[in-house]
Amino acid sequence: MTNNRLPLPFGSLLDRESTVNFSFDGKPYRGFMGDSIASALAANNQHLLSRSFKYHRPRGILTMAGQDANTLVQLPANPNALADREQLRNGMTVTAQNVSGSLERDWRAVLGLFSRFLPVGFYYKAFFKPKGMWEKWVPIIRKSAGLGVIDESHQPGYFDKQFAFYDIAVIGAGPAGMAAALQAASTGAQVLLVDENPQLGGSLNYARLDAEGNAATALLKKMRSDIAACDNIVAMTDAVCNGWFADNWLPIIQGSRLFKVRANQVLMCVGAMEQQAVFRNNDLPGVMMASAAQRLMRLYAVRPGNRAVVLAGNNDGYAVALDLLDAGVEVAAIVELRAQPKYNKVANALLRRGVTVHTGQAVYQALKGKRGRLTAVDVRKIVSQGKCADTGEIIHCDLLCMSVGFTPTYQLICQAGGQLSYDDDSAMFSLNQLPANFHIAGSVNGYWQLDTVVADAQRAAMMATNTIGKVDVEVPNTIAEPDADSPNFNWPIFAHPKGKEFVDFDEDLQIADIVNATQDGYDHVQLLKRYSTCGMGPSQGRHSALATARLVAASTNKTVAQTGVTTARPPFAPETLGHCAGRSFYPARRTNMHYRHLEAGAQMLQAGVWYRPAYYGPVGAAQQCINNEVHAVRNNVGLMDVSTLGGLEVRGTDAAEFLNRIYTFAFIKQPMGKTRYALMTNEAGVVIDDGVACRVSEHHFYVTASTGGVDQAFQSMLKWNAQWQLDVDIANVTSAWCGINIAGPNARKVLQKVCPDIDLSNTAFPFLGFREGHIAAIPARVIRIGFVGELAFEIHVPQHNGEALWDALMKAGDEQDIKPFGVEAQRVLRLEKGHIIIGQDTDAMSNPMEVQMSWAIARKKPFFVGSRSLIELGKMPLQRTLVGFVVNDPQAPIPLESHLVLQGDQMVGRVTSCNYSPTLGKPVGLAYVPLPAAEPGCKIVIRAADGVLVTAEVVTLPFYDPDSLRQEV
Amino acid sequence: MVSASPEHHLRRSQLYRIHQSAGAYFEDQDGTLSVSQYAGNADELGQARRLGLADLSTLSRIGFKGHGAPAWLHTQGVLLPEQPNQTLLQTDGSLLLRLSAQEVLILRALHPASALITQLQNQVSSAAAQHAYVLPRADSHCWLALTGEYAAQTLAKICGVDMRLHKFAQGDVAQTSVARVNAIVTRYALEADTPCFYILCDVSLAEFLWVSLIDTMLEFGGQPIGLATLRQLQPTKPSSPS
Amino acid sequence: MKLLTCPLNGPRNITEFSYGGEFHHAPDSRTCDTKRWVEYVFFHDNQAGNVLEWWCHTATSYWFLAERNTVTDTVLRTFPASELFKQRVDFATQESSAKNDK
Repeated sequence: MTNNRLPLPFGSLLDRESTVNFSFDGKPYRGFMGDSIASALAANNQHLLSRSFKYHRPRGILTMAGQDANTLVQLPANPNALADREQLRNGMTVTAQNVSGSLERDWRAVLGLFSRFLPVGFYYKAFFKPKGMWEKWVPIIRKSAGLGVIDESHQPGYFDKQFAFYDIAVIGAGPAGMAAALQAASTGAQVLLVDENPQLGGSLNYARLDAEGNAATALLKKMRSDIAACDNIVAMTDAVCNGWFADNWLPIIQGSRLFKVRANQVLMCVGAMEQQAVFRNNDLPGVMMASAAQRLMRLYAVRPGNRAVVLAGNNDGYAVALDLLDAGVEVAAIVELRAQPKYNKVANALLRRGVTVHTGQAVYQALKGKRGRLTAVDVRKIVSQGKCADTGEIIHCDLLCMSVGFTPTYQLICQAGGQLSYDDDSAMFSLNQLPANFHIAGSVNGYWQLDTVVADAQRAAMMATNTIGKVDVEVPNTIAEPDADSPNFNWPIFAHPKGKEFVDFDEDLQIADIVNATQDGYDHVQLLKRYSTCGMGPSQGRHSALATARLVAASTNKTVAQTGVTTARPPFAPETLGHCAGRSFYPARRTNMHYRHLEAGAQMLQAGVWYRPAYYGPVGAAQQCINNEVHAVRNNVGLMDVSTLGGLEVRGTDAAEFLNRIYTFAFIKQPMGKTRYALMTNEAGVVIDDGVACRVSEHHFYVTASTGGVDQAFQSMLKWNAQWQLDVDIANVTSAWCGINIAGPNARKVLQKVCPDIDLSNTAFPFLGFREGHIAAIPARVIRIGFVGELAFEIHVPQHNGEALWDALMKAGDEQDIKPFGVEAQRVLRLEKGHIIIGQDTDAMSNPMEVQMSWAIARKKPFFVGSRSLIELGKMPLQRTLVGFVVNDPQAPIPLESHLVLQGDQMVGRVTSCNYSPTLGKPVGLAYVPLPAAEPGCKIVIRAADGVLVTAEVVTLPFYDPDSLRQEV
Repeated sequence: MVSASPEHHLRRSQLYRIHQSAGAYFEDQDGTLSVSQYAGNADELGQARRLGLADLSTLSRIGFKGHGAPAWLHTQGVLLPEQPNQTLLQTDGSLLLRLSAQEVLILRALHPASALITQLQNQVSSAAAQHAYVLPRADSHCWLALTGEYAAQTLAKICGVDMRLHKFAQGDVAQTSVARVNAIVTRYALEADTPCFYILCDVSLAEFLWVSLIDTMLEFGGQPIGLATLRQLQPTKPSSPS
Repeated sequence: MKLLTCPLNGPRNITEFSYGGEFHHAPDSRTCDTKRWVEYVFFHDNQAGNVLEWWCHTATSYWFLAERNTVTDTVLRTFPASELFKQRVDFATQESSAKNDK
């Protein structure tokens, strides 16, 4: 393909038999199966991947581990894909992001020249005055800093979720994770091993542990086969643990599935993130983490450059240099930051290869060549912390590998409650104060040598299995002192008078930006983050947190430990809304008659979680349909599905006593076969629900509750009786019963045809009566109540009989031209009758006196919930009251719920219900008004839609049939 | 096998239209129709052993609750598990789920002639006098059976309780959330090698749960199965309770 | 996600539960002074430290009590309400005794 590919055994992820064709910015390329987008481009000598966020600087590979925003590219359906993590697929169309013009010639790159006019906090300082200007600037700023394009025609895929349970979850499958999993599994524990990479092994896949360069491979092979042989280890690769939540609850994303894992013990073997050195032009393509170069070579067989310089602050840099030599890269020099390096075997092996080492020196700046790529480095002696000599040596190279230190992957551990501290000797963050049932091991715990890493992992695994009682062996708290040789150089930061030494690549933040932010007063790292946006980019501080902490500490005369890092919240890695949503679940409740409504042409609405018919007929003729339904009920007969009403059985010797305490009315002397209105208040005296209580027998009441309120009412009843300990049993039977309300002057005529065993006459079965019998051979409870103010029977039958009851009543009413009516008609009918709906005509402050329900309070009872508060409220003057109003002006718009009642320019009340009344021929409604305006005949002013003022007249309730002659016939 | 439509019966499962459109054959049980089997599945028994879902909602079942319930049930010869959240096989083949110290749910056996429920149904007034109050479980809840090798894996996608076979044993009960709705789940194997979970949730959510489960089962090749198939998984004579 | 141990159903995800407020013994609503009643109804202790709370397992509508540390969010124990309420509460009796007090 190209001469940039290395021969085997380089490229452990590649399948060289399978070629993959793809395009980048319109140009065709070829890679191999197993390549990432970035590795395939690098193999094709395409090192420029993107333009930076603010200055549109050319950017290339930095970490090869998805820890920087340099590699963000646009895929057709996926903006902001990480080119170094995204697997290459055949036919992929990849384009560069954040480009004005072309990736190669981006005219906004000129912004870099003005960077001193774009200081930290620039947007806040420049665009906020005068007031209102910010909104004008936003679209312009967003365009210049755009990140990707959303494909609005994209069809979401099938996402799913799954619960999983393990004794031990090991996050990170490097040498520590693998050793910990094997140790834990040896006790018989069920172990989950998770890694975000395509294969197990972590650094063993790319790092060099010995001079010969084969120790890692041998160990990896053995551990992988041991793990494969363990049936009690489930290994998930390409899987990201995206957070830690209480009681070891781990969201793990793999493919299009989110696993919700509960683990008894969690072992975090999440390793460490390599950090860059900070010097001028440290962002040029060709400057990368040493581990990035190793990943390119070992995983993808890509030769990362032709002539390399290694900037080393530790011995790992020498291992990288050996790797580069093995890959045929010329190593021009090692720039050794340490003045007195302590070499290990690997470093000595490199020294024997004759590479020049510039000890005690730094890369002061990188120099830009053609196409923005690195062409040379300016190497100077370090004279003091962060200061270089005035002159140095220019070394030509197209690759600079930075090996100056690490930060433990702290995010998940800090989410669990772990605390970061900083040790000045090792120049390293460390993690401590771990919560119970949570362990860390390996490099995240400060161990860097393979033998100590493995021993630490086994220690942690034993602690975990001891805790769950798998085996009980004595385990030391630590295996040894953390490794003496820290890989971190304490100050790899070299300011340049012309700047461009990048601390945060995502946000183009330079040393001066961080220092200036502290001088602007944002001297706490949390404040500084918000002000400077440092760490707010896609990489979330992965490569910037350590340098930022060091700079802020130095600038504010604090220690790095005191400075710390900003809070790392979930998610750890970007996740899609699809993952959060999972499969579409919408638990909607249907009554047994649901499909009869649809067959009758109903438009369904959702009342809480129930489907209910709004009205029957086409959407275009809604008002006409509703008026016809109202007319049918007022003049003939209609039927309505009321199955959604709550139903409660209250049984026991204290049943009446219990209702007496729960509801405001009196129930002790309620006769059998009778129904009473039941109004529920809470302890503050606020109306919270209503229904009717039917006395079935001495010790048995059947109580209804509102559709939306029954679950709360039921729970509240149980809670009260947990305290009162009355001899009563309360059962929520809402769904066990289907209900139909048959209403209208001809209701009796229809019902008689199918109800042989109940005498339906007004004398035998008066208003508010309760009977049991059969309707069309279906066992039924029949209640003479009606919300709508006409002769009505409410029939409750077992749920599975619902559809058969509907069929029977429709058939019986055929001759009478019976008509189904929906929620909309019912709202009009009940409003005409002045009946309130709890929750619509009441709010969180409404007491019974305000809604004119003093009649429903039995004041002689020794107690009911809310009784004392109602006594106290009764001592105070009413602040407002619910009144009925009519709008007499036929030209006026109809007020809607929540429209305000005004007196002058003061808000004094609001509308709770308002509808056109076909019966009265004008809009009628309910509104809260202050007392002086509550007298019938008073005019109130309502601010309707679009601010139109509507004058309404207060009238006596109800609007319709004030003497209730119609419902009691 | 009955070809009659559920619409000719007074009691109808919320799901009968779904069954009809899936090619269901119905059979008469408890005075109404249940799905016997579905057309087009040549190996429904194999399906049940792999992953099947059956609607048992029209079969009889009953509940009792109240502080006198355990004592009264005892006088009726009912066997009660010692602890709540356990299921015990009754001598007539029905299953009793103890939902709390004072509440039980009884499911009839899949093969006919489960006498216990009829016996108890006939005495609900005397039960109430003993503080054992009947609950209309045949109407308040739908009743589904999830069977087969992949049943536990299916539940793992929609239920936060660990129902893997080594954690959720034969006779265990969990009252929890399944696919975001409250549900009662018990595991009671029909034949030794075929796990079976009975799932009961609010009857108004039957269609939601059915559709959710069928969707959840897709990746394992799950299909609906009928009562006739389910019966083949059950030994004709119940083993005596231990 | 947090786990909470229901005395009836064992440890379950917190999403299976609903919170029922701080636990308080209600004052005698007919004899206590207004201030005491108003404080009982409207004030919440919102203590930092160990508190007693009502919780309900929604799938079973089972109410129980939990002792929880509000600083560390650790649940120290959960137990049935019957541990605190062992006998029937009667207001009529209290009323007659209140009358006797007069």
